[in-house]
Amino acid sequence: MKIYSYAIIDSNSKISDSINGLEGVGVYNIYYRDIGVVVSELSEQIQDITQEHILKHEEVVEKLMENFTVLPVSFLTLFKKKDDVLLMMREYYSDFRENLDRLRNKIEFGIRIIWSGETIRNRIIDTYKKSSANISITDTSPEKSFIKEKFEKYKLDKEFEEEANKVITLIDDFFSRFAAEKKLERLKSDNLLLSAFYLVEKERQGDFKEAFERTKRTPGDLKFLLSGPWPPYNFIVLTKNADMFNRKPINQDLAGKNTL
Amino acid sequence: MEGVITKSKDVTLLEVLDRVLDKGVVISGDIVISLADVDLIYVGLKVLISSVETMERLRGAPFAGAQEEPT
Repeated sequence: MKIYSYAIIDSNSKISDSINGLEGVGVYNIYYRDIGVVVSELSEQIQDITQEHILKHEEVVEKLMENFTVLPVSFLTLFKKKDDVLLMMREYYSDFRENLDRLRNKIEFGIRIIWSGETIRNRIIDTYKKSSANISITDTSPEKSFIKEKFEKYKLDKEFEEEANKVITLIDDFFSRFAAEKKLERLKSDNLLLSAFYLVEKERQGDFKEAFERTKRTPGDLKFLLSGPWPPYNFIVLTKNADMFNRKPINQDLAGKNTL
Repeated sequence: MEGVITKSKDVTLLEVLDRVLDKGVVISGDIVISLADVDLIYVGLKVLISSVETMERLRGAPFAGAQEEPT
C-alpha cells in the first residue's frame, strides 16, 4: 500500500465531505499538531498515468480549497507508510504553518500575454536601417562584417528586451494594485511576452477580474489570457532541506498524534 | 459556505501541468517514493515527455491549445 498526498491543509479534523482521489479511493486527513495532509491509499501500482490522473489530483486540491487553506502538493508525491508522512509533517511543520498563515484567504491567478515577437523585431530592424542608411561603410572585410553582424544581433536583442520590459512594467504595475504577491516570468519565448502569477485576496478577486477585462479591451496587438482562481501553487516557500530525511529516524511518539 | 470561490475557469491540461508537476509543495529525499520504486518510470515519462513536447510546441506557437477564461 502506498500513500498518495494531495495537499497540506490548516485543519486537524476529519474531512467531512466525501472526496474521491486517484483510482476512486476516498481521501482522508493525516494530521500533525494543528495541520494535516490529505491523502488517499493506493493499494495497487498505477499501471498507466493519464491526464485524468493529473486532473483528478487538481480536482481534489480544488475541492479542498473550498473549505480550507491549502498548500497543494506536487503530483505523484507518494509515501511508503504513515510514519514517513508524519516525519515529513514534523520536519516541515514550521514551513507549512508559515505558508498556511500567509496564504489564508488568498488565491492565485495566472495571466499570460502574447505579442508578435517577429513584428517587434522587424520594427526594430526597420528603425535601425533608417537610422544607419546614411552611414557609408568603407571596410567590408569578413572580420569587420562578422563583428558588425554580431553587434547588430546584440543590439536587436537588447532593444527587443527593453521594449518587452517597458510593456511588462506598464501592465504589471496595473495588476499589482490588486495583488498581495506576484511572480513574473518574462519572455519565455519571443511570442510569450509574460507569464505572470498574482496572489489575490479572495474578496478582491472580482476587482482583479474586472481589471483584467479592462486591460484586455485596451487597443493594441497584445493578446491576454487569464486562468484561475487556482490554489497558490506558485507562492509556496519551503526553507527546509529535503536531505534531512536521509539522517533522522522515525520518532515513535508521532504515531499517537493522528487518526486515520 | 462563506468564502467559497465561484470557479469559472476553463481548465486546460497545459495550465494544470504547468502547476501540478513541479510547483506547490515539492518534497524529495528518501522518505518519498521515487518513480523507480513504484515502477512508474515509463508511465511517468510518458506524461512528462508529452507535457514537455506540448510546452515546446507552444513555445513556437503559444497557446494554440490554451483557452481563454469565459467571463
